[in-house]
Amino acid sequence: MDMLGLYPTWYEPGIGSGWVIGIIATLHVLFSHTAVGAAILFAFLAYIGYRDDRPELIDFIKKYGLFLLVFSYILGSITGPGIWYSTTVGSPNGISALIHNFVWKWATEWVFFVIEVVAVYMLVYLVGKVSQQTHLKIAVIFGLTSYATMLAIVGILSFMMWPGHEKWFTEGGYLYGFYGPNTFAQLAIRTAFMFTMTAVVGGIVAAGLKDKEFKRWLLRRLAVIGIISTIIGMAMYPWYLSTLPEVANVLMANRLPDYFTPAVLFVLAAIMAYFIVTLMSPRVVTASVAGIATMAILVLGLWPGETVRETVRKPWIAGQYLYSNQVIGRDVPGMDVKSEIPLLEEKGFTRAHVFWPENQREINPHNAIHVGQSLTLTACANCHSLSETGMRPLVNYFGGISDIERIKTYLVGAIATGNTMYMPKVPLKDDEAEAMALYIASLNDDEVVARYVNEKTRQAAASEENTRLSAQ
Amino acid sequence: METEMLYALRDPLGVPSHPLMFLVLGVLTWAMHIVAVHVLLGSSALAIYGSLSSQSHWRRLAAAMVNTAKVAISVAIVFGVAPLLFVQVIYDPFWYTSNVLSAWWVIGFIIILIIGAVALFAFYVMNKSMAEVEKTRCPGSMILAIALFLVVGFIMHALAVQMLHPEKWMEWYAPGGIIDPSGRSIHEFNLWRFGFFIALSAPMIGLWLYAYRRYLMARENENAEYLDFLKRLAASLGSIGGVISLVFFIAWMLTLPENIASFATSIWPVLTILALAAAVAFPMLIARKLDTGLWGYAPFAVGIIAGLVVAIMREAVRWQTLFGVHGYNPLDYKVHMDWYSTLLFIITLVVMGGAVLSYLVTVAWKAGQTKGMYTPSPAVNRLGNFAIATVAIWILQYFGFGLWVAYM
Repeated sequence: MDMLGLYPTWYEPGIGSGWVIGIIATLHVLFSHTAVGAAILFAFLAYIGYRDDRPELIDFIKKYGLFLLVFSYILGSITGPGIWYSTTVGSPNGISALIHNFVWKWATEWVFFVIEVVAVYMLVYLVGKVSQQTHLKIAVIFGLTSYATMLAIVGILSFMMWPGHEKWFTEGGYLYGFYGPNTFAQLAIRTAFMFTMTAVVGGIVAAGLKDKEFKRWLLRRLAVIGIISTIIGMAMYPWYLSTLPEVANVLMANRLPDYFTPAVLFVLAAIMAYFIVTLMSPRVVTASVAGIATMAILVLGLWPGETVRETVRKPWIAGQYLYSNQVIGRDVPGMDVKSEIPLLEEKGFTRAHVFWPENQREINPHNAIHVGQSLTLTACANCHSLSETGMRPLVNYFGGISDIERIKTYLVGAIATGNTMYMPKVPLKDDEAEAMALYIASLNDDEVVARYVNEKTRQAAASEENTRLSAQ
Repeated sequence: METEMLYALRDPLGVPSHPLMFLVLGVLTWAMHIVAVHVLLGSSALAIYGSLSSQSHWRRLAAAMVNTAKVAISVAIVFGVAPLLFVQVIYDPFWYTSNVLSAWWVIGFIIILIIGAVALFAFYVMNKSMAEVEKTRCPGSMILAIALFLVVGFIMHALAVQMLHPEKWMEWYAPGGIIDPSGRSIHEFNLWRFGFFIALSAPMIGLWLYAYRRYLMARENENAEYLDFLKRLAASLGSIGGVISLVFFIAWMLTLPENIASFATSIWPVLTILALAAAVAFPMLIARKLDTGLWGYAPFAVGIIAGLVVAIMREAVRWQTLFGVHGYNPLDYKVHMDWYSTLLFIITLVVMGGAVLSYLVTVAWKAGQTKGMYTPSPAVNRLGNFAIATVAIWILQYFGFGLWVAYM
């Protein structure tokens, strides 16, 4: 029995499942990148602190570490698997593709994660209770294992856009999937910006220090770290872009709004301005100012980055073989993966989908609206909201028309053939295209369904009458 | 749902090693996770009970238990990640379906857990000197934390139960033949099963108290009355909690779905009861040795073994349901053997993880036992150097293999 291995669809009409995933993922980037940058900073500060006998640096490590226990190791630890949870419900085949390719990498990261959590508690709570040399060793372990968690994850993030190497398609294997030029470019840019985040979030802790002189000294150092890391991060961006395939640049040019590039440049300039002001006048940094800067980075800095990643990989959701609507769109001989497009062309969603209501396997005028809704949910709702809010509402793309034939013509001509850039190929049988067109029309016109049923009933009666007359 | 449909949902990529590895790792790490959850729930309950008491022993215990809970929640989350990973590898059709059908609860899990964790930390921060003062600040935050932990536990319970009912999935997804994609409902649960896993927190925290007591005994001039108080409390929690757990377990077995009702009379429930009984009785069996050597830690170690038996029994329920009733065999998952990533994980876990965690745990334990500053012996220092070297080598191999694959 040839069946289409699709899961049920979760549809969130308010903001859309894509936004839910995006919000959780963006929060996690802030928590996790800050932690990794801070871990490396701690190792450096511990070295300087013990070498130069500067207990205030060790005290800062303790204070920042305590803050991170909640900020990164509780909130970050929960939002990490939270990304799994949200993608599980929003894109089950997408997360499955990553899990089944990289389960051992994630398991390896987990080993580092366990060490990281043990180490951060020890780093914070054993200050003054173990020898300086021992505390420094713990700091070094914490720094190295934290960075290793980033190393372990970055290739998986890269695979979401492109498998590391073209050979992955023909030969398969973890190494070809994980490692590629984009992996290292992405690692470099993330490494730079994690220090930016560490410097900004560190300001929240530094602002609360009692020793004014040390506070000034520290905020200035954090500002220098922030300026250098931001410049390096910006300098890495062309390298990052050069590792993207040509089609990604075309997508960026065509799909990102005009204000995007100026907005990103403005954000980077604002971050630089914040650090420069901090450098020149550390007094202005209070916990609330640093907190606002953190939120600004979160919303204005991280969100566009995630948007670019989402945009340039469309219509794929993972590995350039799995469409955003969860259908496998191309063969991957190296992994014995077959495209599901031929199966859809032969049977259609209604006959091949595992989770399809039995009363909707055959389409008739009376169930067409429900079939249309099921089809639209399955094939479109991952990227297009079916309500007026949320991500790219479908109604906005049909200009208020409720002409079923016109919509059907578009679906058959542009969508079912895969001739629309940025969109997956969505093979539709003729009756499926009509049902979907009916549903889309109903988003603009409440009465179209009644008219459709009446028309189809009238046609059926006329046809029956003709048949009866012919028989006579 | 027909068996072929379940197989159609499998990921066509297959798995990079024999599926048995993921099954075994899933059970082992789930056992670690659930023990940490029991310690979290048990210590949280003792913390709030003790913090509302005016007795000095209870207040001291409450202060210690808040600290325990604070660490236990991190450990529970960290250990919870691994079984969450492995269940997706070989049980993907079931886990993903169950999650999607209750999507909002899955998202709610994240939010509720965050609020619960923050509430726990808030209680900890506000009551750092609980042992010394009589007043407890904001006990409501701890009560809220416990309540939210129970809610997230229930969500996980429901997801685990829903995945065992493929025959009901379509009815849940498309009631009356119309798809409901809202993901707003919890569709299936068994309060006896949930109650069993929660009730185990009582005997488990009892066993933990024996270890805590042993830890304190290593200190000079430790309060003998407090140690005695701990011993009595641990014994009560073990015996009373054990009986309550047993009641829940029997009720769960009696309410198993009809198609796996025979599981109740199989060897697994017997082994589970024996393991739990052994864990609860163990401190009494070694009563004379309990205060000698490292025997004081043994009850909790036996508790971990009992937790592992519970985890195996839980897996047996899943196996009998999915394979016995629905014909799905997780062990016949298509294998695309990947030696590099498989060996890298094993070496990372055993060599690097073993070295680093041995070093960290040794230092933590010794530091806790030492008055003043702990200075490790040369052997411990060498272990630390070796641990750092293993992490450095891991990073070097990452770039070595990576740059070679990416650019050669």
